[in-house]
Amino acid sequence: MKRAPLSLWLTFTGVPLAFAFAVLVLPALQGVRTSFDSCGPSLDNYSTILHDRMFWEALANNLIVPLGSLALELIAGLGLALLLTSKPHASPLLEASAILPFAMPEIVCLAIARFGLGPRGYVNAALAGVGVNPLPWLAPGRALSLLSVMVVDAWHVTPVVMLMLIAGLQTIPDELYEAARLDGAGPIKTFRYVTLPMLAPAIVAAVVLRGVDALRIFSTALVLTGAEGVPVLSTYAYELWSDAREPAVAMAASVILAALVTVVGFAGMGLLRVVGLKELPA
Amino acid sequence: MTSRGDTERPLAVFRSTFSLFVVLSAVIPLYLVVKQALTPERESLAWPPSWFPAKLTAIHFASVFKVSELLSAIVLSVVVAVISAALATALGGMLAYSMARRESSRATGMRALGGLRLLPMIATAIPLAVVLTRLGLYDSPTGIGLAIIHAAVAIPAAALTTYSAFVAVPVELEEAAWLDGATPMRIFVSIDLALARGALAAAFILCFIMSWDEFGFSLLIQVTNRTLPPLLYYYTVFGNVGPASALALIMIIPAVAVTLALRPMLRGSLLAGSFR
Repeated sequence: MKRAPLSLWLTFTGVPLAFAFAVLVLPALQGVRTSFDSCGPSLDNYSTILHDRMFWEALANNLIVPLGSLALELIAGLGLALLLTSKPHASPLLEASAILPFAMPEIVCLAIARFGLGPRGYVNAALAGVGVNPLPWLAPGRALSLLSVMVVDAWHVTPVVMLMLIAGLQTIPDELYEAARLDGAGPIKTFRYVTLPMLAPAIVAAVVLRGVDALRIFSTALVLTGAEGVPVLSTYAYELWSDAREPAVAMAASVILAALVTVVGFAGMGLLRVVGLKELPA
Repeated sequence: MTSRGDTERPLAVFRSTFSLFVVLSAVIPLYLVVKQALTPERESLAWPPSWFPAKLTAIHFASVFKVSELLSAIVLSVVVAVISAALATALGGMLAYSMARRESSRATGMRALGGLRLLPMIATAIPLAVVLTRLGLYDSPTGIGLAIIHAAVAIPAAALTTYSAFVAVPVELEEAAWLDGATPMRIFVSIDLALARGALAAAFILCFIMSWDEFGFSLLIQVTNRTLPPLLYYYTVFGNVGPASALALIMIIPAVAVTLALRPMLRGSLLAGSFR
């Protein structure tokens, strides 16, 4: 329909984007203004959080947890992708199990994890069953609870990484494996010299996409440990807004998070260009 | 060649162990939710918690239909999901169609969809609470404010799910209709929408589930007129194990059914990002 009038194209492109912009971006811009406002233009809101010890803890957690969770997702996702694409074909039960943690609503996963990891939960019951002392999996302010948040976060989204890597694996031509086999390469060498290099673009895409998502971590930290247990920037801002009733200060924290995500996002897009992906594969 | 047998055997053992781990890590949590939903509260709160039910009860499910808060949360969740999915599919479909037919639209669209995923939920939700309050839509009993937000968030997923279907419609069909005197709107409706209806249906179902699952905006916007995710959150945090598990099962059933059924179409939506 090359001959359709320009007005039709402007409407079809413009209306959906204007709607998304008006609902999501415009309020965010308004929020940026609020964050610089304290009875007149000022940096007071930012200075308030920069003097708050909790902010620095949230910022540190907001880097540690996404990094750890991303590493776990990549390892588990790659393992699952190889498992599901290897011959003989994986059973439907295995396939369904692999995707189930993502098929369940996030809040359901988190509720299950909270019941399972609580002081009187099933994980501690299993430990007690084999004679190990119960552990404070979700206790506030401990490295262990940081680890719990990472693992639970990774558990829910690993299937996403898996699906992206399976798509990448399916683009590797069978001839390459055939050639490697004829040259006498074993499974480990084949993986190292055929699969891994061919899969690199898909891995980079998964890291960039999941990395940006991981930085926005909110529900996992909030549901498992509460806003103060393992604070991250989103839960820190949420608490300032809902409990402390300081919307302008909360916005300052949100703006810092948004800036962090944007910087990482643009760096990621640069990285995608380096591996030859001009844009995200659709 | 002799070394291959040596490496393949441990590899096979590793593969079976890993498979078993994957299946158990999915089945055990699911089993425990079902167990908690069907056993009395004191059994779930005992130490050590029992692995197998001593007594079965339907009380937690019965309470769903007695406690008005629960029933209204289910209704509100469905209403919000239907409205937002319809809006997102319509708008996302429009965008996908223009992206499929015009290079400049495609470039603009891709850049905008990529940019949207950089926005953290909290940075939008807090100022949105102010805007919605001014419009009288904050914490609305009909959930209309939340439905509009969910629609905006789901537009990228709807667009990416339908994009390839519109690309697949041959331009020759449109040209032929044009020569027969059809208007652009007529061509769009009778040819493109008709041929892409499968993808549009998939996009609708996907957006429905995205809204059904969404937690962050729902928590901040529907503070007293709650949908299912925030309600489950409060039940979980306050330790109402039985009712929380019953609610969790009610939420799981449509989500899991749809995800397993739509697996082949999932990739586009995964790339569009999750909600948080």
